Amino acid sequence: MAQSTPPALALKEITKKFGSVVANDRVDFDVVPGEVHALLGENGAGKSTLMSVLYGLYKPDAGEILIDGKTVEIESPASAIALGIGMVHQHFMLVPVMTVAENIVLGQEPTRRWRLDLKAARARVRELSDRYGLAVDPDARIENVTVGAQQRVEILKALYRDARILVLDEPTAVLTAQEVRELITVINRLKEDGRAIVFISHKLGEVLQVADRITVLRRGKKVDTVPRAGATELSLARLVVGRDVMLSAEKPAGRPGEALLDVRDLHVRDDRDLEKVSGLSLAVRAGEIVALAGVDGNGQQELVDAITGMRAPRSGAVAIDGQDIAGKGVRAATEAGVAHIAEDRQLRGLVLPFTLAENLALREYRSPEFSGHGWLRLGHMQQRAEKLLAEFDVRGGGAEAYAAALSGGNQQKVAVAREIASNPKVLVAHQPTRGLDVGAIEFVHRRLIAERDKGRAVLLVSLEYEEVKALPDRILVIYEGEIVGEFPPEASEEQLGVAMTGGKTERTEVAL
Amino acid sequence: MSQLEDELNAEATESEGAAARSPAALTAFRRGLSGVTVPILTTVIAFIAGGLIVLATGHNPLSTYSSIFNGTGFNWLFPWVGGAARATAAGNLQQTLIQTTALILVGLAVAFAFRAGMFNIGGQGQYTVGAIVAVWVGSSFAGMPAVLHIAFAIVAAGLAGAAWAGIAGVLKALTGANEVISTIMLNWIAIWLGVYCFQLGGPLQNPSMPSTPVSSNVVAGAKLPVFWGSAALQGLDVGIFIALALAVVFALLIKRTRLGYEARTVGFNPEAARYAGINVGRTWIRVMLICGAFAGVAASLDILGWKFSLFTNDIQTSQIGFYGIAVALLGRNTAGGTVAAALLFGGLLTGTSDRNINLSIDPTLVQYLTFMIEGIIVLLVSTDVITLRLLKGGQRIGVALGRRPRDVAGAGRGGGS
Amino acid sequence: MSVGTIAVAPSRAVSPKRIGVAGIVLGALAWVITIPPIEARGMAVPIVLAVVAVAAGAWSVGGGERKLGIEAIVVALLAVVGAAASAKSAVGTLESVFTWSALVAATLRYATPLLFAALGGVISESGGVINIGLEGMMLMGCFWGIYGADLLHSWVWGILVAMLAGGLLALVHAFLSIHLRANQIVSGTGINFIALGITGYFLEYHYGPNGTPLNISMVPNVKLPLIQHVGFFGAAVGDANLMTWVGLALVPALTFFLFRTRWGLRLRSVGEKPRAADTVGLPVLRIRYAAVIASGMLAALGGAYLSVGFVGSFSNDMTNGRGFIALAAMIFGKWKPWGALWATLLFGFGNAMSDRVSSVNPTLGTLFEALPYVLTLVAVAGLVGRSRPPAADGIPYIRG
Repeated sequence: MAQSTPPALALKEITKKFGSVVANDRVDFDVVPGEVHALLGENGAGKSTLMSVLYGLYKPDAGEILIDGKTVEIESPASAIALGIGMVHQHFMLVPVMTVAENIVLGQEPTRRWRLDLKAARARVRELSDRYGLAVDPDARIENVTVGAQQRVEILKALYRDARILVLDEPTAVLTAQEVRELITVINRLKEDGRAIVFISHKLGEVLQVADRITVLRRGKKVDTVPRAGATELSLARLVVGRDVMLSAEKPAGRPGEALLDVRDLHVRDDRDLEKVSGLSLAVRAGEIVALAGVDGNGQQELVDAITGMRAPRSGAVAIDGQDIAGKGVRAATEAGVAHIAEDRQLRGLVLPFTLAENLALREYRSPEFSGHGWLRLGHMQQRAEKLLAEFDVRGGGAEAYAAALSGGNQQKVAVAREIASNPKVLVAHQPTRGLDVGAIEFVHRRLIAERDKGRAVLLVSLEYEEVKALPDRILVIYEGEIVGEFPPEASEEQLGVAMTGGKTERTEVAL
Repeated sequence: MSQLEDELNAEATESEGAAARSPAALTAFRRGLSGVTVPILTTVIAFIAGGLIVLATGHNPLSTYSSIFNGTGFNWLFPWVGGAARATAAGNLQQTLIQTTALILVGLAVAFAFRAGMFNIGGQGQYTVGAIVAVWVGSSFAGMPAVLHIAFAIVAAGLAGAAWAGIAGVLKALTGANEVISTIMLNWIAIWLGVYCFQLGGPLQNPSMPSTPVSSNVVAGAKLPVFWGSAALQGLDVGIFIALALAVVFALLIKRTRLGYEARTVGFNPEAARYAGINVGRTWIRVMLICGAFAGVAASLDILGWKFSLFTNDIQTSQIGFYGIAVALLGRNTAGGTVAAALLFGGLLTGTSDRNINLSIDPTLVQYLTFMIEGIIVLLVSTDVITLRLLKGGQRIGVALGRRPRDVAGAGRGGGS
Repeated sequence: MSVGTIAVAPSRAVSPKRIGVAGIVLGALAWVITIPPIEARGMAVPIVLAVVAVAAGAWSVGGGERKLGIEAIVVALLAVVGAAASAKSAVGTLESVFTWSALVAATLRYATPLLFAALGGVISESGGVINIGLEGMMLMGCFWGIYGADLLHSWVWGILVAMLAGGLLALVHAFLSIHLRANQIVSGTGINFIALGITGYFLEYHYGPNGTPLNISMVPNVKLPLIQHVGFFGAAVGDANLMTWVGLALVPALTFFLFRTRWGLRLRSVGEKPRAADTVGLPVLRIRYAAVIASGMLAALGGAYLSVGFVGSFSNDMTNGRGFIALAAMIFGKWKPWGALWATLLFGFGNAMSDRVSSVNPTLGTLFEALPYVLTLVAVAGLVGRSRPPAADGIPYIRG
């Protein structure tokens, strides 16, 4: 289709490498005014990197950027802003102790002589807020404001700077269903206003609701750009994943036994003393994998913290094979047989400057096998480590190698090895495959199934749609701190999606 | 944003996470050659910088440094030095080793804390408290058998230092108080406590010297025996062996004990430590207690070895705790490194002291030169980037040196993320 | 423990909070009445007041205000000790120690260098860079101020040279901390060593064993025209140094800057969440550089006051740890200019008291010297409210 006016934004052959990793490989992308163009892809496909290049946070290794048909150099966010690009980040870029108005005007503050003119700021905020239906309280501090409101502030920030090209990075990741509907209304109003909107997401359903055109990225490359008409979830999913969905290993049916993990009426608060788990009950039996699906921030972290002993619940019970460990600390949980593959292996899982032998001993160093009278049994640690490294096929170094020298996939293998080696009764895996390549993901999945078959109870907390569908025997959906639905693995994405965003659907109880 | 910066950023955010920001990262966890290269390079750069300042103020850096060197007594090790020069060198070397004794221990007091992720800037206060107790024990209990008396004084001083450091540790564990500030405050409180004790009219002032603000003298039975040189001319006492033995204890503690393991885990990654069930607060307290003990023992070795009394002026002008920080940093918080760095600073202090009559430059000037060199060393260590990374080629070397040869071929971030 | 969930029985007429505060006041009163100008003698009244204060504190604790209640009890107990000390001293002694006008004047003199350095610390840390090197920057200002005043025959030049020296040293700290992402506490420590070395070296090099010359041009005192002769006020503030007044004026000025101008907003955003500032196009690194250099200049001014404003000469390590007290004052003052002012006045008062107590009882005076450090320890332990630095304090900013 010939265009009489050039697109508001065009990215041509953008390439960006980090060391040996090619995050963007000759990607083309453009948006015209009054259009919503979605950028779709899995985690790690290169969407955020592309937008960081656009916003001046990274310098591309090759390719060019055109605004209104003219080539531009974007050296920093300031240049991007000056060119009319506004970014609404996935992780909000707001200063918690400052007010909404202060955050919005930061960098382009209205002044009256020397003073910061907060009155003018407030007025302008209200004006924009009314015009686009973005309700906020200008004088509230960001730290006291809801997540949905914070996002509205982020959008107002861009509008305050007259952004004509708006980039929304995974905007619905932390919103409730109602808030998503409100957001879509706002987006439509912005479209009518003639702005060009880039909508980044990995959620097929939303993309189909909102976008006019859809570009799919996979492993750094652009796969295709399709118009909304004619696109379906299935056709998009095929483009995103590159093969027919279901990457699961063959999975024999499980044979569940007694409940090894029994959570009853749990109430847990987070660091800001807000209740994140509200009367939650669930059970995981020996020999089964239960997946916990839900939008990030609905209490998963706090639940995991309570089960692993990192956080004491306000009330409720956490029983491991009959033994209540709620509030008794990490050691009690460990001794009762809870193992935890942490969400962030670098922060919580491994000590990168330690050797692999030292890392592998982290869980059990107190046991007589590894230490006595305060002295470590180093030789023993070494032997154990070598055995585990071989068993788990860890590449990149021996027992004396530093964890930092390993690739992400191998690091995760070490973390998994450490937890599984202690023969736990309950294995809690929180996003165990985040950031890993396909081979490593497959390995972790196979191990989880193997553990299940050994009779362990496996609780899998994940945001990866495929993981949630392929691995478990049952799927529980968590929403606002409660279990709101239980589904068999055959449940559709719509059913799960509806439950995850708080809607009600026919519950399919799985016969126990 | 240069290409290099991008790569550094990516490297930093991907593979180092919390560990990179912790002070424990200042440790030489890269074994082998690169563990030694960095401190040597740092020292050389600092000395060159010092030399430039000397040059800029009209003196000859080479003759300055060589006269300092002769003052350290290290030339005693050269077999071709003989006669009177040899005797002088011997005396100098004894002095150097005396200084080194205390520096080793105060350095370890800082190093152990660094390993656990804490800044023990309070070595000076812990040393002071140890000194007060050591001089009090040493000057009392006149009839005690020597070995017992000495042991008592050393242990008491160690306990005092431990308690002093423990205050900061407890505050950190219970209230989250930043140990940098609390140890600095405790330094000054200790100093004023010391001045209070020994000033005219103070409770521990020497009763037989009422117009001098000094402590009582350590009795003969509590003095550490001298094994090299003569006691009358401040020869080298056995304290050096105690210091070296404690350095070995430090190494064992770090590598082979549960406490050392827990301390290192807490130092590199407190979150992972919690996940492993380690009580972070209790670990902090234990670590600080040990650090304080090292510093307290350092004081006792000084008191019983050559000081034999404590003037309020001593207390107020002593800088040994701060030298300890430089020693620990230069020694990359390891036992061997600390000993080597202590030796370096011991030599520097002796070579630039008033004792060195052959100094080709005014002694006051070089004493301040020493501070400058010390400062430059600390600055260079603080970045930990300058020697490895700014040299672009150095970046690759630095990372590669962290792996054993057979790993380099098979290693790499295969697969991507 | 959350703040909002302490249920106070609405039937209580007076809140436990007010009772707690009253307890603290009464406790303090127990001691205050024994010193001039009230000079009540005997222990009876103080003890009664202290007992009431303790009761109030206990009531307050029972009502849920634990911290306030404990503070009231502690104040009451300390007050009894103080009252006992007063009772043991002669009235004349008390009067010579508590000559309030002289105490105020001395407090201001001691507080001035601390104030400048503490304000410098506030600026630096508001931008997110920890500045342990305040001591070194102060020392540089101290020496180079005298040097400049001597060489160029005017205190004005001295001040300017001092600021330049402090700024340059701060530039080194800034480069290491911001660009090279050094560990800021370690680099600050290194800065202090270097300053000690440079000032001592050049003192010896330039002035030799005789030290700095006499008759150097000094910052003048400001003789307030009418007030100067009015009894208490005249002795207290009628003859204060110009720099003291400048320092005092800086407090509202910096407060206005930080909280009412856009540059202050930007500075604070950089210290709280630099990523947010970066993504709106603010030059994070440049702002941090400016903050650190400004803090160096302010600290240097504090040092310059010592040499060019007060003593008239320079001797080795003249600042003697004041930079660290200033750091403590900054923390005690919760990273705000007014807070820093009250903290430095409190610490200055401690120093002034120490002097006067020393003149009647030298050994006791020494213990007073330790007071600022003890107070800071108390503050850092969170016993006087929450001590919270800017969120990104000490964390080098890495883009992306």
